[in-house]
Amino acid sequence: MGMSKPRRLGTIAAAAISVLMLAACGGSGGTGGTTSGASGGKVDGTGKTLNVLMNVTAQYPQEQQAWFKEMGAKFKAETGADIQWETFASANDEMTRIQTSVVSGQGPDVYGLGTTFTPTAYSTGAFVKLGDNEWNQLGGKDKFVPAALGISGPDEGNQIGIPFVSRPFVMAYNTELLAAAGIEKPATTWDEFTEQAKKLTTGDQYGVAVAYKDNFDPWKYIWGMSIQAGNPIIDGSKVRLDDPITKKAYETYFGWVTKDKVVDPSSVGWANPQALAAFAAGKAAYFPMTSPLSIPALDASAVKGKYKYALMPTVPPGETSNPSGAKPATSILSGDNLVVADYSKQKDLAFAFVKMITDKDVQLNYFKVFGQLPANQEAAKELATNEVIAPALESGAKSVATPFSGAWGDVQLSLTNVVVQSIPDLSSGAVSGSNLSQRLKDEQAKSQTALDRAKK
Amino acid sequence: MASSVTEPRPSDSSPVARAAAGPGETTPPGKRRKGLSERNRPLWLLIPGGLLMTIVILVPLAMGIWMSLIDLDQYTLRRWVSAEFIGIKNYIEAAVSSDLLRSIWLSVSFAVISTAVTVPLGVAAAVVTQNAYRGRALVRSVFLIPYVLPSFVVASVWRTMLQPDGIVNVTLNNLGMDGGLWLNGPNSYWTLVWVEIWAAWPFIYLLALSGLQAVDHEVHEASALDGALWWNKLRYVIFPYLKGPVSLAFLLATLNHINNFTLPYVLFGAPAPSDVNVLPILVYVTSFQSFRFGLSAAMAVVSLILIAIPLFIYLRAVRLDVHEGGKK
Repeated sequence: MGMSKPRRLGTIAAAAISVLMLAACGGSGGTGGTTSGASGGKVDGTGKTLNVLMNVTAQYPQEQQAWFKEMGAKFKAETGADIQWETFASANDEMTRIQTSVVSGQGPDVYGLGTTFTPTAYSTGAFVKLGDNEWNQLGGKDKFVPAALGISGPDEGNQIGIPFVSRPFVMAYNTELLAAAGIEKPATTWDEFTEQAKKLTTGDQYGVAVAYKDNFDPWKYIWGMSIQAGNPIIDGSKVRLDDPITKKAYETYFGWVTKDKVVDPSSVGWANPQALAAFAAGKAAYFPMTSPLSIPALDASAVKGKYKYALMPTVPPGETSNPSGAKPATSILSGDNLVVADYSKQKDLAFAFVKMITDKDVQLNYFKVFGQLPANQEAAKELATNEVIAPALESGAKSVATPFSGAWGDVQLSLTNVVVQSIPDLSSGAVSGSNLSQRLKDEQAKSQTALDRAKK
Repeated sequence: MASSVTEPRPSDSSPVARAAAGPGETTPPGKRRKGLSERNRPLWLLIPGGLLMTIVILVPLAMGIWMSLIDLDQYTLRRWVSAEFIGIKNYIEAAVSSDLLRSIWLSVSFAVISTAVTVPLGVAAAVVTQNAYRGRALVRSVFLIPYVLPSFVVASVWRTMLQPDGIVNVTLNNLGMDGGLWLNGPNSYWTLVWVEIWAAWPFIYLLALSGLQAVDHEVHEASALDGALWWNKLRYVIFPYLKGPVSLAFLLATLNHINNFTLPYVLFGAPAPSDVNVLPILVYVTSFQSFRFGLSAAMAVVSLILIAIPLFIYLRAVRLDVHEGGKK
């Protein structure tokens, strides 16, 4: 009947599953039936409920609930609409949520997304692309820190992500330990960093605290050192994981434990909180790849008042300045974006909400409660005078976005996997060049396959 | 008085039923005679259950198989009904250019080793707690601790203990041994086996215990009268009773081991070290980190078939659907 058998089967199955999903999602979906009209800048949402899905802040569960309540009341006062909050714990949780929502065409109106997850979300095509109209509803593009917009979309004309908060990476250093070793200021090149770390390693005190077993930290070092030397990892239609630049980055990162012996040998089993704990106990002079989120933990520790943040080195290993075509990235562009679902039937209300929580006062308050830096430009300027925060703000302004590709998830996985599979070698004291090359070759193939799929 | 459940008793005494049961009736050759209990059954009563089964089991199963035949990923997710039908390409990719075969080998060997170790342990524990003695209740409760702990907790605790500078390595160092790396590298496989055994043996113990409880008191008395010593009694009298429950336990435990996701995920994280990249982890990473839903569905179907094999053999062996007295 025109329809091939498999197609027909698919349609039947799709119909069946849609029915099931609608049944399962019933009650949680949007309640508004029609698009609410924006009249005179004010959105009337009386009797409606906006559904918002945000990242759970595991550190501050009670504060988050309180913030939800406060924002709910504020939104009700502004638009008359209620907010139904939901949280997710990881990108995988969220992907599952997006999956069911885009297939069934209902679910949250607004999603909070990690920056590096934005390309993946973009590739599903399930979110509103921001035109002039949308930016105006949000209060204009100028409202946001320019660098924060770097991972909102593949290019200016195709943006989906509205910057919400920024969590740029910096390194913490122990001012007392550095002073005791006669080091006047923190390193600005990775070579200098390694040299300082050697000086700072004595007895059970190590130069650096690194979390080799963390599922998120390692790839950021490799990506950072690579782009500082001119390799963005995804270069047009090619993945450059097996590039000598990237190999050098791995060698430097691994060398701290195998060759330079400036990190605790146990750190091959550490995740980020364990490295933070080592720094907080005064057992390490440097703690790279952290953010202002660590302030509460550090202020409650033995190093209270004895630590500062600084930019991580921006000159790649083996160099004294950035080669041409390289970017002196201080951090990946890190933080959260907000996106509005394409299937939402109350987009005006959704944008009114996003505008509300990206306004200056709300952003400053959010920083005060959660330690996450504002994406709102005015708010960020106001914080620039804060000495502890200033390096983080600077890092945010100088951060570079990871490549905007649907294949980035796979590349990130590959970058991490090289470290995961090298841990036994790290533990035994040496990662041989041939082992490393082989791992890079394997992962290069996997990532290239993923990128080829993205290009189709 | 006691009527065997295996013998069909006519529940209705209608003339038809009586006539059918009457003597002298011959069955036409080539046509199977329907048993009494098969006639006039209100089969429509199965509709609610059947409907539920369709929704809960058959539809997702069909969806899974369908997904394995289409090119479903993050790019096609939204319009997944129109995702390209690619037949068995996902299966070919899974077999040729993914870690599937290796993962199957890891999963199966891990499951078989774990079961092979837990069965004697569980049976021994059941025998030890069979006879009453002071403190038996306490021993029985202690035996159940690993079983009642959630997998997540078990894995978290072991992960903490097996850190490079964790309590296990500190203890080994004090004894003059080098612990090495437990959560990565070749040892990680044995870590997984060890923790699985630790967590799973009480399951065998429970089923073996239930088997032991089913042994009639008279059997013990009779073997005592015959002068059987403990080993002979165990070997020739008690163990035959355990054959049923323990083979069921063997099967279920093996399937549980193959299917266990939480334990390797929490112990090693994702991406997992290649030595413990078991099937559930591979499917998870393919699905939710690479977003290759079609490919991972193909892997899941393969794993389903893998699991169905021992299940099928077991069902054939015990013929759960047929009772001694004939069809039910």
